[in-house]
Amino acid sequence: MAAQEQVLDPVHQFSINRIIHIDLNGIDASFTNASLYMIIVIALISLLMIAGTSGRALVPGRIQSLAEMAYEFTANMVRTTAGTAGMRFFPFIFSIFMFVLVSNLLGLLPYTFTVTSQIVVTFGLAATVMLLVILFGFYKHGVHFLKLFVPSGVPLPILIILVPIEIISFVSRVISLSVRLFANMLAGHITLQVFGFFMLALLGGGVWALLAPLPLLAAIAMFALELLVACLQAYVFAVLTSVYLNDALHPGH
Amino acid sequence: MAKLEGENDGELRARLARLSQSLEAQAKSGRQGNASERGGTGSNAGLAWSLGVRVMSEFVAAIIVGGVIGWAIDNWLHSGPWGLVVFLMLGMAAGFWNIYRIAATPEPPAQGDSQ
Repeated sequence: MAAQEQVLDPVHQFSINRIIHIDLNGIDASFTNASLYMIIVIALISLLMIAGTSGRALVPGRIQSLAEMAYEFTANMVRTTAGTAGMRFFPFIFSIFMFVLVSNLLGLLPYTFTVTSQIVVTFGLAATVMLLVILFGFYKHGVHFLKLFVPSGVPLPILIILVPIEIISFVSRVISLSVRLFANMLAGHITLQVFGFFMLALLGGGVWALLAPLPLLAAIAMFALELLVACLQAYVFAVLTSVYLNDALHPGH
Repeated sequence: MAKLEGENDGELRARLARLSQSLEAQAKSGRQGNASERGGTGSNAGLAWSLGVRVMSEFVAAIIVGGVIGWAIDNWLHSGPWGLVVFLMLGMAAGFWNIYRIAATPEPPAQGDSQ
């Protein structure tokens, strides 16, 4: 058993390696394994949607029904959270949902890299969402968009306290949106790795090998939970995106 | 379906209208039924988990944002610890406000066209 020589290094899986060095005036824009997996994720989504919509059979096959399910699920979610007016953001929300979902699920395969376990990626996604909310809010409502921070029917002395609170609460959405996805993915992958290592260590520990199935069972249960979390976090990210975009459509609640 | 060519335009249009009407009705009932259906027994633990993580992250995020704003104001105005103190308090209030909003509206309004 080689378990004894192995070192427990559960965060090794998140390290970023340069594949092709690219240097743009001192900015490191190398093509890394993260870039590679982002491209794989986008290729998978494109493949699914192209293959799913090319047949256009009346009775859908497997791939077509998968694509239709993804479409209908997201469309229903957008309609229930942002109303029919929110459907103008459907392409954006669908792209984000599919990107997060597929990279979460792809990351659960052994030896793969999880794009969404990098805070830079999730923060980039969340910042894009909030930037769109702010830009669209100002574009559609002008200065009235700022009414988002001023609840109606509140006396002035309380407003002095309430407006900073509302602004902090608005800014905190970027952080909570990005940290939630990142932390879920990171914690799940670390837990899986640790349980896997426990099993290997027990197998190499003489009579303790009898206990080895316990961490295996735990790892299997954790994997099932991770599968659920991967889907749920993609769903939560997309729901909150459409809720925030609903704020941009209708500020001043 | 085979005698589709035999039918005239009017009949076809009427059938299409009926079809889209029933599709609309189905979509409407599906929209209402889905919310309770999706929270079945199997996904309850997952939903509870995601709700818990959501509450925690929104609370912590608001405090972090408040702290960073206060720290930046202190750095900028050299106002001692007071910016940090005040904005940490405000951040905590914003955190509770976030949690209150999650608790008060577990399901956002079905149609977003209201104020």
